[in-house]
Amino acid sequence: MNKYLLNGLYGLLGMIMISAIAFKIVQPIKVLPRLQLAPAFNLIDQNGQQFISENLRGQFVIFTFTYTQCPEPCFEINETIQEVQSRLGEVQLEGIPVTFVTISIDPERDTPEALNKYALSLGANSDQWKFGTTTNQALLKTIIGSGFETYYEKKDDGSFSFDPTFILVDGWGIVRAEYRYATEVSSADRILRHLGVLADEVRNSKGTTKLAYEAAHLFLCYAP
Amino acid sequence: MNTRQMHIDPYERNWMIFSAVMLVLFAAAVSVAAFGMGIEVPAPEQRVDPRTVATDPNSPWSNPGLREVSPGKYDAYILARAVPQWEFLPKELTIPAGSSVSFYVTSPDVQHGFKIQNTNANFMVIPGQVSKLTIRFDEPGTYDFICTEYCGSGHGIMYGTITVTP
Repeated sequence: MNKYLLNGLYGLLGMIMISAIAFKIVQPIKVLPRLQLAPAFNLIDQNGQQFISENLRGQFVIFTFTYTQCPEPCFEINETIQEVQSRLGEVQLEGIPVTFVTISIDPERDTPEALNKYALSLGANSDQWKFGTTTNQALLKTIIGSGFETYYEKKDDGSFSFDPTFILVDGWGIVRAEYRYATEVSSADRILRHLGVLADEVRNSKGTTKLAYEAAHLFLCYAP
Repeated sequence: MNTRQMHIDPYERNWMIFSAVMLVLFAAAVSVAAFGMGIEVPAPEQRVDPRTVATDPNSPWSNPGLREVSPGKYDAYILARAVPQWEFLPKELTIPAGSSVSFYVTSPDVQHGFKIQNTNANFMVIPGQVSKLTIRFDEPGTYDFICTEYCGSGHGIMYGTITVTP
């Protein structure tokens, strides 16, 4: 084999390996994986208005599931949302709205009126923090259980056993992160960091950089 | 070393250098990943505290077992442990045929393995991390699951059974 060709081959292989390691260390591009499509839904919000998933396109949405009678602190779900909401200024969102959606797992008691009262007690701004309920129990099980893969079940005493879950959905309706159990880093910190990663992708993923982002989706597997 | 004296073919010599470079590069990559950054499993199933994962009432593994998420769709929270005895909790699961089951497996103590016979489920169970895999069981029958981590006295006696009813 030609000596120059062989040296060139060494150089190329070396460069590929060094750049792969450098990419891993420097992490110039961070992406959240595209996990699955978020389920479509048709619910009623706390003002009694129709509330459908299509209305959330183009926004980052954080879904949670709880019920108004849940004895506080109730896994600190609402506290986490309030913390994320108050610290949104730390994230460069480039004007992309962030919406919080709490879907009730107890539609028998959580009427739109009950949810409205609950929202007021939490000081929730109805533009940014939506509450959803429905009268169709089977639909609810399909949305939360099948769609968001989140468990809930009514116990005999009327309370619910469920897991505190936060699900981050991007503007295309794709699930990008799930927070299912307490980890070393608080959920609020992780959600804020991940919102920043998503906003960076939306801002930078244009032209040639878009190809780099798509490559990152295929090959990277580290958690930002 | 005088290569001319040893009569090493340049082609062979080049491949030897290449292999050496590869070794150095991979050793460097592994060292950087292990010591510089800490090895992590991919998102989104991330680290849990192994000291409290089996006892914290808010942790699903404090009450491990099967949960029906929606019709035909289940979550199986399984704890693989060595203390007080080598076992999986729970040991027996029963599901109807056609169900898809998401296994969430973690360990409060040492590293374990999780393999379900006659399926493609076979993964490591690492303390402090959660391994997740979804399997659909279409054929009725019994599927044994075993621990595939043979670096301790008791891993070989860890087993359990999934019964798929017609």
